[in-house]
Amino acid sequence: MSDSAQLTRRALIASAAFVPLSALTLSAQRTPTALSVVQLRTLEAFIDRLVPRDELGPGAVDAGAQVYIDRVLAGPNSAEKSTFVQGLEVVDSYARRVHGAPLAELPPEKRDQVLTAAETENAQFFNRVLRLTLEGMFGDPFYGGNRNFAGWDLIRYPGPRPAVDADLQRMDVYPAPYRRSPHGTQYK
Amino acid sequence: MAINLNPVDVVVIGLGAAGGVAVLPLARAGLRIAGIEAGTWMDPHRDFLPDEIHNNVRREVTTGHKVKREIPTVRVGPNDTARQAAVHPMMNAIGGTSIHYWAQSWRLKPWDFRTRSESIRRYGASAIPQGTTLEDWPLTYDDLEPYYDIIEHEVGVSGKAGNIQGKLDPAGNVFEGPRRNEYPMPPLRGSGFSEHMADAARSLGWKPFRPPAAINTQPYRGRSACVYHGYCSAGGCHVGAKNSTAITTIPEAQKTGNLAIFDRAQVTRIAVDANGRASGAIYIRDGREYMQPARVVLLGGYTYENTRLLLLSKSPAFPNGLSNRHGQVGKHYFGHWVNNVNALFPFDINVWYGLPAQGTSVDEWADDNFDHSGMGFIGGASLHVYTERHPIDGAAMGTYGRSPRWGSAWKRFVHDNAARVAWTYLQTNTLPYETLHLDLDPTVRDPLGDPVCRLTTGGSRENERRALQHAQDKMEQWFRAAGAIEVTKPLASEPGVSTHAYGGTRMGDNPETNVVNRWGLSHEVPNLGILGASVMGSSGARNPTLTLQALSWRTAEHVARNWNSLL
Repeated sequence: MSDSAQLTRRALIASAAFVPLSALTLSAQRTPTALSVVQLRTLEAFIDRLVPRDELGPGAVDAGAQVYIDRVLAGPNSAEKSTFVQGLEVVDSYARRVHGAPLAELPPEKRDQVLTAAETENAQFFNRVLRLTLEGMFGDPFYGGNRNFAGWDLIRYPGPRPAVDADLQRMDVYPAPYRRSPHGTQYK
Repeated sequence: MAINLNPVDVVVIGLGAAGGVAVLPLARAGLRIAGIEAGTWMDPHRDFLPDEIHNNVRREVTTGHKVKREIPTVRVGPNDTARQAAVHPMMNAIGGTSIHYWAQSWRLKPWDFRTRSESIRRYGASAIPQGTTLEDWPLTYDDLEPYYDIIEHEVGVSGKAGNIQGKLDPAGNVFEGPRRNEYPMPPLRGSGFSEHMADAARSLGWKPFRPPAAINTQPYRGRSACVYHGYCSAGGCHVGAKNSTAITTIPEAQKTGNLAIFDRAQVTRIAVDANGRASGAIYIRDGREYMQPARVVLLGGYTYENTRLLLLSKSPAFPNGLSNRHGQVGKHYFGHWVNNVNALFPFDINVWYGLPAQGTSVDEWADDNFDHSGMGFIGGASLHVYTERHPIDGAAMGTYGRSPRWGSAWKRFVHDNAARVAWTYLQTNTLPYETLHLDLDPTVRDPLGDPVCRLTTGGSRENERRALQHAQDKMEQWFRAAGAIEVTKPLASEPGVSTHAYGGTRMGDNPETNVVNRWGLSHEVPNLGILGASVMGSSGARNPTLTLQALSWRTAEHVARNWNSLL
C-alpha cells in the first residue's frame, strides 16, 4: 500500500462516526493489513453491533478488534482472507438491497436487522466474524485489539500474572485486575 | 542416495513423551543411542507465554513443521471418503506433547489390564460389547507397578496416594491399585472452586481427591514449583514446573554422553536388512537423506505416525509394511471417548488461574467401581473438574438460553457470568472394535509424496456412549449439589483425530492379533520395539501418558538387559 493510500485510509477511518480518535493511536502500520478502506468500514459497522459501546463500557471498535482482524487476515489467517472479504460483500449488498444503503451508513437498529438476518442466512460467515471479534476483543493487546484491556475489564478477567498465589484462587474474594501484557508494558 | 552414518546401538525415532523416556535406561546401560526428532528444542523464554492467542488460537506450542504437512484424514465407514482433519494432535519438538499436555499422570487400574476376563467373570460373556476386539493385556498392573513408580520419580509426579501396599487413605484415590510408594511430591494445591466441589462430592457420599500430575508442587531435582499462573493447557511451562521429557529424562540421558540428538530430522522409513531385521532409520535433515544404522530400532512417534511409518516401510521381507505379516498394523485403533458437562453457578467461582491438572476428581463411576448389572455397558468414566480459563474462551461461553449471542444484552451476560462457568473432563474406559482402524490414505499425500494416515472411526459405540451418558448424569448430580443453576450435557460422538489415540500396534501375546509382544518388541522383527499409546489395547478412564511412559521404560530396560540375546 502506498503512503498516499495509507493517508486516505486513515482519514476515512477517522471520519467514521463510531470510531473514536483514540482508535488511531495504534493503527500506525507496523504490521501488514489485509482489508481495503471500504471493507474495513463494513467490518467496523458489523462488529460495532456485535459488541456495542454502552453503559458497560467500550465496544469492539473502541477496543480495536478490527485492527486485530485486519492484521490476522494479512498474516496467520491469510488463507481465509478471500472468503472473509466475500462474506463482507454479501452482507453489504444485502444492506443495500433491503435497507437502501451500505452497512456502514445504516443506523444501529438497521444494522442489527442486517446482522440478525446474517446470523441465520449467512451463519458460517457470521460465526467467523463473531469468533474473530472475540479474539480481537479478549486476546492480548499485543495483537492490536483489547485496547486499554477493555475486553478483560468487560468479562472481569483479572489478567495474566507471572505467578499466582492461593489468595488469587479464592471463591469468596475476587482477584484485583492486573493489567499488563506479557509482551511488554507499552500497551498499557 | 542416503548418506550412511556410523552405526549406533539403538536408534530412537521420536523424542517425545515415550521416546524421551526410553532413552534414559538405555543410556544408563551404556548403549550408544541416536535420538531422531522432527522438531527441535523449544525455548521457554520465547515459546512459553501466558498468551491465549499464542497458545490456543495459533497453537504455537502444539504443532510443528512436519505435523502440519501430514494431517491425517478421517472417515466413518469404509465406503466414505476420508477428509483431512483440521489439525494433527502430534507434536514436533524435543519433549513432544509432554511440553504442552495437561500433565495428568494417572496409573491405570488393575481392572484395566484384565477388563475382558474380569467382566466375563462378574457379568457373564454377554457383557462384552459386540464387535470389540478387546483382549486382556499381556501384563498385569502388578507387572507394570514398579515402572509406574520409576516414572513417578524420574519424571516427577505430584499427588496423594490412596492405596500404599493395600493400606487405604481417603485423602488419595481409594480406587487406585496398590502402590509401593507415596508420590515424590504432594498434590497440587486446592483452589476455592476445587475445594467447593470436593465438599459437594462428599455431601453425595463420594470420595473426591486431588489427581496426580507431572507438575512440581515443590522444587524437585533442581526445577521450580508450579506458579499456577493459568496458561498450562496447550502451553509450555516458563518456570520448568511441568515435567516434560525435554527437561527431565532427555537431559538426564544426555549427561551420560551416550545420547546423540538429531533434531529437525524427519524419519521417512525404517530400514530392513535381507534377513528381515530392522537395520536403522532413514531420515531427511536440511534436504539431505541419511541412513542411521542401528542394532535395535525403537519407534516412538505418535500413535498415527507409528502405524504410518510401519506401513510405509515396505521391503521384500515385509511387502505389506514392517511387522505386518498378519495385517495387524493399524488394527485395534481407537480414540478416547471423552466428553464435557458444563455448569453455570449463581456466584463467582473464579477459575481463571490455575491449571487443568489442578482440580477435584471422582472415580466412583469409572472402571468397575460400581455394579454394572443390567446397565448395558462395562467401564465408565472418571469425573474431573478443574481450573484455568482464558479470556477468549471465557467470552465464548454458552449463554444457556439466558441471553442472545451478541449485542448489549450479551455484554451484560458475559460481564456477570464469565467467572461463573465450570467445565469438566470425563474420560471413558474405551475399547477397540473391528470397525475402527488406521491405514494409508489412497489419495492425500505429504510434500514428500508419502500418503498420510487415514482413520476409519466406525461410527457410534453403544458401550462408550452409554458409559459417558451415565457419567454425565453423575456429573450433573455433582454440579447441582454444588449449587449450579444451569447444566449442559453435550451429546457424545465418536472421536476423530485425538490427543488420546490408542492402538494400531497393539501389545499382546498372540502374534496373529497383536503387533508387539509383552515387552513391546515386534512379534515379527525381534530388534524392533514400539513405544507409545499405540501399544495399548484399552484406554482406561484416564489420560494415557504415565502408562505409556512406564511401558516405554520397561521396553527400553528389557532391551538393555537382554542385549546379547536380541542381536
